[in-house]
Amino acid sequence: MAANTMARSFLQVAATEEAAPPLRVVQIEGLVILKIIKHCKEFSPNLVTGQLLGLDVGSVLEVTNCFPFPQARVVEEDEEIEAEGANYQLEMMRCLREVNVDNNTVGWYQSTLMGAYQTDEVIQTFLNYQENIKRCVCIIYDPLKSNQGVLALKALKLSDSFMELYRSNNFTGEKLREKNLSWVDIFEEIPIKVSNSALISAFMTELEADTPVTQCDCDRLQLSTSPFLERNVEFLIECMDDLSADQQKFQYYYRNLSRQQAQQQAWLQKRRTENMARKAAGEEPLPEEDPSNPIFKPLPEPSRLDSYLITNQVSNYCNQINGVAGQSFSRLYLTKALHEN
Amino acid sequence: MSSRFWTQGGGSDSEDEESEYGDGDIDNKAGDNANDAPSNPYLETNVTDSDESDGGKRVVRSAKDKRFDELSATVHQMKNAMNINDWVSLQECFDKINKQLEKVMRITESVKVPNLYIKALVMLEDFLGQALANKDAKKKMSSSNAKALNSMKQKLKKNNKQYEELINKERENPQPSEDEKSAEEESDDETASEVGSDIVPSGSDDDEDEVIDDEDDQTEEGWQKQMSKKDKLMDKQFMKDPSEISWDVVNKKFKEVVAARGRKGTGRFEQVEQLTFLTKVAKTPAQKLEIFFSVVSAQFDVNPGLNGHMPINVWKKCVQNMQVILDILVQYPNITVDDMVEPDENESQKGADYDGTIRVWGNLVAFLERIDTEFFKSLQCIDPHTREYIERLRDEPMFLVLAQNVQEYLERVQDFKAAAKVALRRVELIYYKPQEVYDAMRKLAEQTGEDGEGQEPKPEETRSPSACIAVPEIVPRKPTFSESSRTMMDILVSLIYKYGDERTKARAMLCDIYHHALLDEFSTSRDLLLMSHLQDNIQHMDISTQILYNRAMAQLGLCAFRLGLITEGHSCLSELYSGGRVKELLAQGVSQSRYHEKTPEQERLERRRQMPYHMHINPELLEAVHLICAMLLEVPNMAANTFDAKRRLISKTFRRLLEISERQTFTGPPENVRDHVMAATRALVKGDFQKAFDVINSLDVWKLLKNRANVLEMLKAKIKEEALRTYLFTFSSSYKTLSLEQVAMMFDLSEAQTHSIVSKMMINEELLASWDQPTRCIVFHDVAHSRLQTLAFQLTEKLAILAESNERATEARIGGGGLDLPQKRRDNQDFAAGGGNRWQDNNLSFSQRQGGGSGRTGYNSGGRQYGQAAGSGYSRDRTGQSRGTGQNTRYQDVAYAGSGRTGYQTAARGSQDSSSRMVNLHRGLRA
Repeated sequence: MAANTMARSFLQVAATEEAAPPLRVVQIEGLVILKIIKHCKEFSPNLVTGQLLGLDVGSVLEVTNCFPFPQARVVEEDEEIEAEGANYQLEMMRCLREVNVDNNTVGWYQSTLMGAYQTDEVIQTFLNYQENIKRCVCIIYDPLKSNQGVLALKALKLSDSFMELYRSNNFTGEKLREKNLSWVDIFEEIPIKVSNSALISAFMTELEADTPVTQCDCDRLQLSTSPFLERNVEFLIECMDDLSADQQKFQYYYRNLSRQQAQQQAWLQKRRTENMARKAAGEEPLPEEDPSNPIFKPLPEPSRLDSYLITNQVSNYCNQINGVAGQSFSRLYLTKALHEN
Repeated sequence: MSSRFWTQGGGSDSEDEESEYGDGDIDNKAGDNANDAPSNPYLETNVTDSDESDGGKRVVRSAKDKRFDELSATVHQMKNAMNINDWVSLQECFDKINKQLEKVMRITESVKVPNLYIKALVMLEDFLGQALANKDAKKKMSSSNAKALNSMKQKLKKNNKQYEELINKERENPQPSEDEKSAEEESDDETASEVGSDIVPSGSDDDEDEVIDDEDDQTEEGWQKQMSKKDKLMDKQFMKDPSEISWDVVNKKFKEVVAARGRKGTGRFEQVEQLTFLTKVAKTPAQKLEIFFSVVSAQFDVNPGLNGHMPINVWKKCVQNMQVILDILVQYPNITVDDMVEPDENESQKGADYDGTIRVWGNLVAFLERIDTEFFKSLQCIDPHTREYIERLRDEPMFLVLAQNVQEYLERVQDFKAAAKVALRRVELIYYKPQEVYDAMRKLAEQTGEDGEGQEPKPEETRSPSACIAVPEIVPRKPTFSESSRTMMDILVSLIYKYGDERTKARAMLCDIYHHALLDEFSTSRDLLLMSHLQDNIQHMDISTQILYNRAMAQLGLCAFRLGLITEGHSCLSELYSGGRVKELLAQGVSQSRYHEKTPEQERLERRRQMPYHMHINPELLEAVHLICAMLLEVPNMAANTFDAKRRLISKTFRRLLEISERQTFTGPPENVRDHVMAATRALVKGDFQKAFDVINSLDVWKLLKNRANVLEMLKAKIKEEALRTYLFTFSSSYKTLSLEQVAMMFDLSEAQTHSIVSKMMINEELLASWDQPTRCIVFHDVAHSRLQTLAFQLTEKLAILAESNERATEARIGGGGLDLPQKRRDNQDFAAGGGNRWQDNNLSFSQRQGGGSGRTGYNSGGRQYGQAAGSGYSRDRTGQSRGTGQNTRYQDVAYAGSGRTGYQTAARGSQDSSSRMVNLHRGLRA
């Protein structure tokens, strides 16, 4: 009976979802987090992905379970890998259903290096998921950053306006201005709430050691930050290169555009004088538009998406550097004070 | 059947013909005698169709006669066919007669068609007209016959067109008796054709009319008959009675010979001879001149191909003829030479005492240029290692004097444009000669001039003492050279700059640059190069000018090296060597490309562009200089930037060679230039300056240098300096302090020198150290940058680039100077980088001047100004070495964003640009 009501409530949820409130919180089970961390850390330099399972309840997305995708083995045919991956997923979900685990996909997780996740692939995967599931999130875990004593976990989704633009695939300057979409608006970060069952919480308290200091706290006091900074700066340099390349692309485009416009003007001018002459001679004026003329063919404007993504990454790196630097300063002051004492 | 019969019958005919012919030959002078020749008994019988001649005794007939017999037989056949109105057989006969005609013409080598044939044509035409007019008869004809008639009509029409004139003539004065006429015609034919055959051996059918035209004048014919046998005969004829020769006669003959020009079978040499003879009998100076022009052009014709050269003796004669032309022109100032207007037919009839100007067609400059080209070509073709080549080179003064005379003449007639062209030709013969060679040439010219005056008593004058126009040698036969080649160049070049067209000026400028560089006047030639902006637009010029440009650059590089300007030398030469096709670029040999198979056409083109051997710039010396320059710049640079992730290359070529030589497991003793420099490099890297110098000193290319001792001394000093710098870069981290004395001793330098070198490095912040004056020590500061710092510097650099391009984009948006202007200006700087780092400031100021009113933001121009100020001080080192190494410097650069950035970018783009330029040339070569 209870199950019945449950089912009905699901139905109701499904029925009312038309006017669903926006996603406010991602609620993750402790188990899921641990599983993600384990998976990501084990393969640390490599990037891994996995499936998130859970429930979509109102403005809360509950992630109750997850399973990793197998690492793509040695070079095989792309299609084969894909098929294998899909099979694996289906099989896995079937198994999970059999043991009565939520088998509703709500998104995926992936590990990242220094927060370099703003890529075209992520956006595409997101859209793929979006086709099947109304609400999905991407959880990003950065094992490197976690070494510094923070839980580097992020839940992301694409903003609606961006998705719309992406589907129509025109990232021209004009469209972007129209939508008032700037690079900040591509990804939306959703707050994560970790929930544990009361039982687990109780057990954890039981397990907690007497000393108030944990490994995490020790990590946080680590003074050598330069490797991390170096990596960040390196990445920043790369980004700068990319940006420059992008910039050049635009410059090239604008140069061509202005040249084309000049040509068009010249042509129009010519056509007008010609028309004047024809008019004087009492003939039909020629049309002022000539679609067959190659100079009227609009030049394709390069997409702004790349530069947006790069900018996102840059800002991400900058934030990281800022954060690390700030913390480092306080640590340095701390140690200085300690030394003085 | 019948033809056989007629050939048999031909026996007596030929006999008669022969005898008659002999008569004609004897009383040729009468000319018309042939007309009165007694009618041939045979020919009369010919018509009666009798067999009586059958029994005539057989004579061995010549092939010619046989052919004529056949021809007449066919004619007869045609007549028969006409009688029975048989168009089919008539058609067959017509074809046959045409074939026979060909044979006859071939055998007699005649240009004139036998009258017999014309006769037949007339007859045919008439008959055809009748047949066509008679419609009833036409209808009655059988279908095959009618068909034959129609095709005959067309054939005849087509065929008769060729002989229209003759036919008309024939119609105009038809002879009363056909037979008689034919006989007379025949004999006439014979003589006429004989005449033609001697003068114009076997012309093609189409040309016949012209000759025949000439012949219809009776007196003319007589004259021609006199001339007919051989040229010798002609000579005799003229020799006998020069007074009888009129202007008309000469003119006629002249026209005729000229008309024969270019025809198949016309002997080119003979034509020249004939014309030369005519010059001797010319009546008026103008005519003589006219004929001389033809002689010269006929001489040009002697060698038909584009690849071969004119025979040398012909060339010499040609030069002499040109001199005579000039003599005439100088002697008779009222004669003008012009190639624009077609002069009046009888212009040359006007005698020497004619008042007005006489126009004669001709183009002195073109002739002169052609002569020069032929000279150049002959040098290209002759194997440079033979005596012949040297002999040929000795002819140069001969051309020079001619060019000088032509130029003087042109200047006199105020044709400065042409004079500039001639001057350019002279410049191109002089520019590559160093003073020594120039002196030698001068000496040679003086010598030959002296000899020449003795033994050159104008041969043509002696041969025909009665020549109508005696032309004294007016123009000098001995070249006058100014004392030094430089003054000579200056005179010529200034004339060209004043009057020459664009290409002439550019070429003269390049020659000028080359010559200055040859005389070690580096700054002058560099300034010329920069001021002329040749670097900007050399890509748009023709290939031979591009080659000249390359040569000038190479010479400039050598010059800079000789003067110890290593950076400049390198920047001049590196472009040439970047593509690995030096030979091709300098046109000193054809390079074989492995990947690109050349078509024979391309290869021939390329071969035609080659420089003669004596103009070559020694490739080994060039390579040695280039590699040594690269070594001196690159070794300290490598030492300074060992740990830099993105090392800046000064010379890619050198780096590549070094890598290759480092990859070798075993390095043998150096053999070629490259090995030597590599061995020196290895020593220099270790700081072993002595060994490095010894290796380089052992190169045998140095003997090609004039002031070898000075250059080697300079080189040694440079090597020491760079060795010191390399040492300090490499090992400074191992020292805490280093005494000046010790350093000076190690590198065999004076203390003052050492002090200045080290101080310079300190100032440029390549070396993080300071002086400790009391102890005279260098105190090294150990300030190694952490990786993070290094990265931070890199990042700032990238940011600076990004910021600049952003700025440019904004500028384009708000329409500061538009997109084009900065673009252009940047290009300008590129050239500066390509041409030489030192010149950057020079060009910067150019560009600033250019873009003065462009409304560029103040920020940027401010930066530029800084670049100028700083660049003049120590720009070489900044751009050369410090840039990559000392992070502080780089930081500074970023702080003074404008200058630093432009410097960097130009350096980066310079190489690209240069390669593209070479590619352009390359393409041109291929094209």
